Amino acid sequence: MPTTSLREVHAAAGARFTDFGGWEMPLQYEGVIAEHMAVRESVGVFDVSHLGRFEVAGPGAVDAVRYLLCNDIAKIEPGKAQYTMALNDSGGVEDDIIVWWIDDERLWVLPNGVNFDEIMARFAEHAGPETTVRPLRDDTVLLAVQGPDAPGVIESVLGTAPGRFRVATGEFAGHPYVAAGTGYTGERGAEIAVPAESAPALWQAVLAGGAVPCGLGARDTLRLEMGFALWGQDLDETTTPLEAGLGWVVNWDHDFVGKDALLAQKASGRPRALVGFKTGGRRIARHGYAMRAGESIGEVASGNFSPILQGAIGLGYLTPPPKADTPLEIEFRDEWQVVERAKPPFIER
Amino acid sequence: MQIPEELRYADNHEWAKLEDDGSVRVGISDYAQDALGDIVYIDLPEVGATVGEGDAFGEIESTKSVAEIYAPVAGTITEVNDALDAAPEAINHQPYGAGWIVVITPATDVSLDHLMEAEAYAAYTEEG
Repeated sequence: MPTTSLREVHAAAGARFTDFGGWEMPLQYEGVIAEHMAVRESVGVFDVSHLGRFEVAGPGAVDAVRYLLCNDIAKIEPGKAQYTMALNDSGGVEDDIIVWWIDDERLWVLPNGVNFDEIMARFAEHAGPETTVRPLRDDTVLLAVQGPDAPGVIESVLGTAPGRFRVATGEFAGHPYVAAGTGYTGERGAEIAVPAESAPALWQAVLAGGAVPCGLGARDTLRLEMGFALWGQDLDETTTPLEAGLGWVVNWDHDFVGKDALLAQKASGRPRALVGFKTGGRRIARHGYAMRAGESIGEVASGNFSPILQGAIGLGYLTPPPKADTPLEIEFRDEWQVVERAKPPFIER
Repeated sequence: MQIPEELRYADNHEWAKLEDDGSVRVGISDYAQDALGDIVYIDLPEVGATVGEGDAFGEIESTKSVAEIYAPVAGTITEVNDALDAAPEAINHQPYGAGWIVVITPATDVSLDHLMEAEAYAAYTEEG
């Protein structure tokens, strides 16, 4: 199985590994909750090298990104990053993606690891002869440094810390880096890409700055506390951004794949909606548990324990979208329990 | 991995300790808590419930997964560790101490000979 070039470093630090979209990656070191709290209270570092990443460069790069993704890169400028999505002709989410606009005609596209090949192929197919599409995953390591103390650590290591949704480039340990003020935790910090050669030095420097090694288990509980959607659970090819409550990611002022279907859904009303909940207890309402609210039925998409709230939280789809005051229930084993509807983020940040 | 000599162990990774009064204290092993990861919830039985050997009597849940807990002996549940309701992480920290789960009192004198001794359990966990 492919893995990060830092695998041995993680193993020596006590990491337990698991399969993330076909990549063997650290699930946890000390424990999910301790790592979660380190990110909320100080700073943690995640190896997220399984995430897809490729460069689109050349005269047609911006046009390709604008057409293939539903947010509009033209609303930002070089040196900034944007959350966006690749849709299919039915308006379904093929992937949710971060774009780093590095300079005029050079952008990095970061799809989910599991969708990397398919999304890169779309760009390669659409790009004109003057535009190059170059995979970056095999030759680079991507580290996410996250937490209230992350900017200080990043600045001490890189000499600069990119602000929220800003992109910075420079040199670290004699090799180039690209960093962006993005992440998946709701905290400040950055994701930093470096060639495999300088990755061990970057990892060590960040740890020396005080960052706690964190696995992808904590990344999942952190993102869920913020209500951030996870592709494959909260989003997939059959859900539209409107159903997921992510209409703000769609920019209607440009032409993009899936726009007609989304316009039709916007006019007719969405058939279902993603709703958030707190169970009021510690028992986790897991993926696939049945949900209902009056006439609306569905199931839990993501559910886990919130270390900050010390209780279970989650997201699930209901068809049709329920009225605001209809009580929400979840089936635990054979028992329906009323849970509290809660609009994400579940914690204040 | 701690595997105390004085305890007996079941295939499903529960430990059992024969108390002086003939009752059996039950928890899950260090190996089991480590495999589950951070435990956030436990569904405990009621005192007075009866269980057969091998019956699932509770559910233990971590950020990663849910596992059932099985009775290593038959009998009546005579004590439940209620402190785990609010602090199930005690099972992670002290699986053989504060993290005990229930006490089962068998109807008649009970033997734990059907359960593994520490050495056999150590070999069993190494097999995976």
